Amino acid sequence: MRVNGVTIADTFAEAFTMRVARIVITGRTAKWAWEAGLKLTGFATSVIGCKCEAGIERELTPAETPDGRPGISVLFFTMDKESLPQQLIVRLGQTVLTCPTTACFDGLPLAPDRLAVGKALRVFGDGFQASKVIGGKRYWRLPVMEGEFLIEETFGMLKGVGGGNFLILAEDADAALAAAEAAVNAMTSLPGVILPFPGGVVRSGSKVGSKRYKNMVATTNDPFDPTLRAITQSQLAAGVNSVLEIVLDGTDAPSIAAAMRAGIPAACRPGVNAITAANFGGKLGPHHFHLRKIMSEGGV
Amino acid sequence: MSDAVTLSLAEPPTHTLIADCIAADRFGELDAKAIAHLPVVHGGRPATLGEFFKVRGGPSSVVRMEGDLARVAAIGAGMAGGELTIDGSVGRDLGLAMSGGRIDVRGDAGDNVGGARPGAARGMTGGEIIVRGSVGDEAGARMRRGTIAVTGDGGRGTGVGMIAGTVVVFGTAGPGAGRFLKRGSIVALGPIDRPATFRYACTYRPPHVGLLLRYLRDRAGVPVADRYVAGKYERHSGDLAELGKGEILRWVGE
Repeated sequence: MRVNGVTIADTFAEAFTMRVARIVITGRTAKWAWEAGLKLTGFATSVIGCKCEAGIERELTPAETPDGRPGISVLFFTMDKESLPQQLIVRLGQTVLTCPTTACFDGLPLAPDRLAVGKALRVFGDGFQASKVIGGKRYWRLPVMEGEFLIEETFGMLKGVGGGNFLILAEDADAALAAAEAAVNAMTSLPGVILPFPGGVVRSGSKVGSKRYKNMVATTNDPFDPTLRAITQSQLAAGVNSVLEIVLDGTDAPSIAAAMRAGIPAACRPGVNAITAANFGGKLGPHHFHLRKIMSEGGV
Repeated sequence: MSDAVTLSLAEPPTHTLIADCIAADRFGELDAKAIAHLPVVHGGRPATLGEFFKVRGGPSSVVRMEGDLARVAAIGAGMAGGELTIDGSVGRDLGLAMSGGRIDVRGDAGDNVGGARPGAARGMTGGEIIVRGSVGDEAGARMRRGTIAVTGDGGRGTGVGMIAGTVVVFGTAGPGAGRFLKRGSIVALGPIDRPATFRYACTYRPPHVGLLLRYLRDRAGVPVADRYVAGKYERHSGDLAELGKGEILRWVGE
């Protein structure tokens, strides 16, 4: 299969089941909602080192938020259900609670699994906190020097999907970067999906474990490193001199598939040789995103 | 099962009619005949609901009442769920000790809205009461949880002895509002005669007030102007003769 002259490899991206929460942050202006969201999702690229993956899903208009102020929605992923509330409590407490004018709401109100995040953060109020039940939901009012911080008592948790991906194999680094940027632009703000890495792009794709260091859980993906082509079992065809990866986490598999369907054609630009994907032979992750099948369903 | 139960006033009571059998959640399990046989007290004498109301529909926990019910007391007493809409004014003890659901009155209400039964320590413990008119004395007295919104004026002692919850008064709150309040909020969009045992804290935009007013506007259809939703409020802590963890929030402008 070829799209815009770029080969789509006959392979699949292998993804994992994760736990996901959607956090809605509002502020006096969109700027302050973004400031909180950027801090909240900082150092949250990969569960390998960050223990969570997070990103800003999209900006919300005042009409879309519970308090009628500008806001953003953030998707937050962990590998297990125990660590999701732990990460949220620590991160919301240090980034959103501290940020001027913000309030924090649950973005998955129908999810049956509830995480008592606001309930845990309430104790910052040192006994001066107060709760309000509005429309059947309980909120906590935490007195702060600025005024009050409002946070919903519980947040919904769903099973999500983490690790959707595709790799852009290009003739040089400039072409790879331009293609990655185009793909990210095409996928940004699609519902139910985040791209947790810097600018949505990964340059240091990894393989499981290490050939040399026992304590490393992930090391460089040498079959796709062009500088190692001559000394490893490279999977790069001749003419490929740079590879960038796009990683996607989503609330469900169809959301990731839809985003890949938007991103892959955008990445098929001049200077790009092929699009492929990372997997582990299908043995580790239950979610398989076959590139050609995804693109066929998109009518390309 | 029908969409709604409708109670139309057919025989206006000549004395106070205590109709504490009317609760939306209870009607969810009763047909029209059973509802008509529910007991009421008229002028101190036992009677049945069907002697005064024409009952249609049921079972349903969505209930609509029609007619001038100013002499009908204790509507929605102990209600735990469902929706009760009343087209007209009602008597005293509306939503007495209720714990859930929503009562929406398109008229005035008498004394002790959402209050406590005689001798009881706690009034309503949950749910919402919306009165699109004025209320009598001691609305929300000793309430423990829930929301009361009054688009008109409050009577004397609004929220007296509140343990928690929220009372919003769009008009003038009566004298003695918030006395002996432990926790909870009285939100005054109009003039309020603040007791001396409340102390001014600050002027700010309380985020929960905007959230509540938007909820009332968007979900319950209560007309709330933007100046209140996004407005500034004076916070007065009190009652300092009690626990002092409550507040009167008085709107002061945008």
